[in-house]
Amino acid sequence: MAPQLTLQAPTELPPGEVPAYLNRLWSEGLKESSGAATFTLVVWEPSWLQQQLIRTGRIDGPLSGLLNDALLAAARTAAAELGLPASTAPTAPELAWALGQQPGAHSAEDLRGQFVDRAISAHQPRRLITLAPTLEAGKSLETLVAAYCPLPEERGGNADACGDVVVLRGGMGAMQQGLAMLQELIPADLPCWVWWNGSMDESPELLEALAAAPRRLVVDSSIGEPRRCLDLLVQRIEQGQAVNDLNWLRLRTWRESLAMVFDPPTRQSALDQVVQLDIDVEGQHPVKGLLLAAWIADRLGWHLVNSFWIDAGTTEGRGIGAEFERTDGQSVQFRLMPVPVGVSKMHPGALVGLRLICAPSDRAPLCVILCSESGGCMRLEAGGVASMELAEEVVPLPNESEEMEMARLLGGGHDSTNPLLAAAAELAAKLLPS
Amino acid sequence: MAATQTNPLRVGLRQERVISPQCLVIFGASGDLTHRKLIPALFELFRQRRLPSEFAVLGCARRPWSDEEFRSRMAEAMAAEVSQHRSAWEQFAACLFYEPVDLQKDEDVVRLGTRLEALDRQRATRGNRTFYLSVSPAYYGSGCRALANAGLLKDPGRSRVVIEKPFGTDYSSAQLLNRVVQSCGKESQIFRIDHYLGKETVQNILVLRFANAIFEPIWNRNYIANVQITAAETVGVEERAGYYETSGALRDMVQNHLTQMLALTTMEAPGHFDPEAIRNEKAKVLQAARLANEDEPWKCCVRGQYSRGGSAANPLAGYREEPGVNPGSTTETYVAMKLFIDNWRWQGVPFYLRTGKRLPKRLSEVVLTFRKAPVQLFDAAGGTPTANQLVLRIQPDEGAGFVFDVKAPGSGMRSRPVDMHFSYDESFGEPSDEGYVRLLADAMLGDPTLFTRSDEVEAAWRLYTPLLELIEDAPEQLPVHPYEARTWGPGAADNLLAEDGLMWRRP
Repeated sequence: MAPQLTLQAPTELPPGEVPAYLNRLWSEGLKESSGAATFTLVVWEPSWLQQQLIRTGRIDGPLSGLLNDALLAAARTAAAELGLPASTAPTAPELAWALGQQPGAHSAEDLRGQFVDRAISAHQPRRLITLAPTLEAGKSLETLVAAYCPLPEERGGNADACGDVVVLRGGMGAMQQGLAMLQELIPADLPCWVWWNGSMDESPELLEALAAAPRRLVVDSSIGEPRRCLDLLVQRIEQGQAVNDLNWLRLRTWRESLAMVFDPPTRQSALDQVVQLDIDVEGQHPVKGLLLAAWIADRLGWHLVNSFWIDAGTTEGRGIGAEFERTDGQSVQFRLMPVPVGVSKMHPGALVGLRLICAPSDRAPLCVILCSESGGCMRLEAGGVASMELAEEVVPLPNESEEMEMARLLGGGHDSTNPLLAAAAELAAKLLPS
Repeated sequence: MAATQTNPLRVGLRQERVISPQCLVIFGASGDLTHRKLIPALFELFRQRRLPSEFAVLGCARRPWSDEEFRSRMAEAMAAEVSQHRSAWEQFAACLFYEPVDLQKDEDVVRLGTRLEALDRQRATRGNRTFYLSVSPAYYGSGCRALANAGLLKDPGRSRVVIEKPFGTDYSSAQLLNRVVQSCGKESQIFRIDHYLGKETVQNILVLRFANAIFEPIWNRNYIANVQITAAETVGVEERAGYYETSGALRDMVQNHLTQMLALTTMEAPGHFDPEAIRNEKAKVLQAARLANEDEPWKCCVRGQYSRGGSAANPLAGYREEPGVNPGSTTETYVAMKLFIDNWRWQGVPFYLRTGKRLPKRLSEVVLTFRKAPVQLFDAAGGTPTANQLVLRIQPDEGAGFVFDVKAPGSGMRSRPVDMHFSYDESFGEPSDEGYVRLLADAMLGDPTLFTRSDEVEAAWRLYTPLLELIEDAPEQLPVHPYEARTWGPGAADNLLAEDGLMWRRP
């Protein structure tokens, strides 16, 4: 995605002068435009992986915060060289941490927050505030400000589509200091989104302060310790905050593919007769698989009886088993297994395959297998499915950048938590054995 | 589209765009369209949670109703739905407001502005407004002017106007109206509605053509022999005689609905799925379309008017006997015509359009008939080989069918046609939204893809100008042929195709 035009080069200002400068900018400097009456987007943009890859000399700068192909390739190479399992996703915090133990002192220009991705600028944010912590913990607070306008073809002739960007940069102490001025920078009369574009484990106090309701919180439950990710999701949803999860968003092709299998009315009754659900995921991050299982269970009205750890018998670690009870009292067995993959996808815990077995009393069992288009489903295809009616589908990979995923959320509005996510998160948290 | 059983995995799966805080202002709020279509569509959007919490509907008409009276009248008109979803209605009704407004009176428009500002504060709608002109077409221009003069359209990012059909009554009046509304706001603010474009199956024409690689290579004059587009109604003029007498089938159905189906069927592929890219292609193909014989238009068009029919048990009145219709009326209730499109893709391919009231079936469809196989190797069971046909069923029984020949079972090598059938009901079993649900949401989202642009409307009117002029200047050259109610139109319409060695498809 090409960066968007700015009306001016980013200006570095003393932090205390930023609010007044922005007021002046719109009241005097840009009289032709009052700015878009849309929303504020606050982004927590640590980009630890990119910072560490640059510091250790594995990639060149600038530091953009964008996950491009070169960065992902360097991350996969680094994971192998550092002895991490091949299933380690590039965005897994373990990789950035392991890189942090390596020597290196390279640096690059820091352009975080100064790009407005085209997908996001199409939604015409009024103010984009980026918090960009640096590896150097003691670095003092720097603030950059610029006005920007979407390209003319994107704003549909609307002169009031312009906004501004503010970047707060510095060490973790500086970030805490930046929080104090943040409140003043967020227009009170517009919705505010907070995109926590980092691990859900890190900086809990900062997350707490930054993402206070009624701000709309966007997280990625594939990044961080699974229990912490699910608990945080549930806690925020229970507090009534509008929560969006990019990991949940990435499930849409799986949910759509499974729904498609059961669209023909002749198949729908089989959904009442499910006896077994198996899900395979990449590596040791089960949250995405649990959310999918929980969504299915919630939609079909299953009641969770118990859940437990299973020894997977592989180097990937433990699986998760559970028993559900259907609305007619019959049992449904659930297994989620980690499987090794040669090349991991971008985010931890990507889905490899799903198998749903239905056993209607009046006809042959139906076996539905959904397979990721980039992987194999040998484990799910094995085990006596030959005698069943087989419905096998390949699930396409969305292949979207995080910015496009975020833009999808912004386009959807989402001023409250999707009730399907709310129900799935709560059940997924219960499915994860303690 | 009838719902069969709901797929529980489908519920909530669609990622709908959410409308910004918004005040929808309906002019003509005491009229039929408001309680029959608009409010039910908005209530559906509300129940689907697709409206923002900062939302208001302001009904405006001359009648001196209060907010409460407006709410209770809407509830009364939608009694069945309201009783089914009582609690949702209570919440939705709280978003309904009313202001007595005559757009021709300046003081009323000023008062409207004040009320809108108050609603902005009360409902936090932030000045985002969609004005829906559900008034007599004679007031479209003056209505827009009144809004513009009051400064209510000055912000193109926050205000839009939706204009119902008919947009003009001929080419010159459409041009004039376009000039007026464009002087009031930017083209991006004007949403000319054609509810046919809100139909899932009409939109499916685009998806079928451009999401599948197999159709486009044969979607042209090299493979397609002719195209028939039909919109048949079983109903008569009902309570719309006053309007219909001045419009007739040509203005009421052909210039908008049938022409939109024609445009979607024949347009080139847009570079990307973008409102302007799509509307550019539609406008281009309509500009290339013409009557098959513009010099002697009576040779490529047939008009008809239904006469008495039906059965002894259920007799049907003729058009001239309907209440409110002039007993000597020459308004057409049926029209059939032949068109050509002068471009590389369609040169020489005849397009046959027909629409009528009181026909035997209610249906809309687009039928593409392919050229016959160059050599007939096999005996056809039906005597002559059947040409392949792709049938896009718009309504009812929404879906598509493909007719092709197969070997008839038994000894010998005789061919016979079979039908490969796709049905929305069988495949999805999910009801689709009413057209107005989609279109109202799109208008409030500011997405003009399914609305007609000024050049499209003008191109559509220009296409039929020779016919309209003929009807005006020498109606005897284009007489209305009577046809019995519940038949497929006058015999002259069959002759139109018989001259080309063809027949209308009997659905």
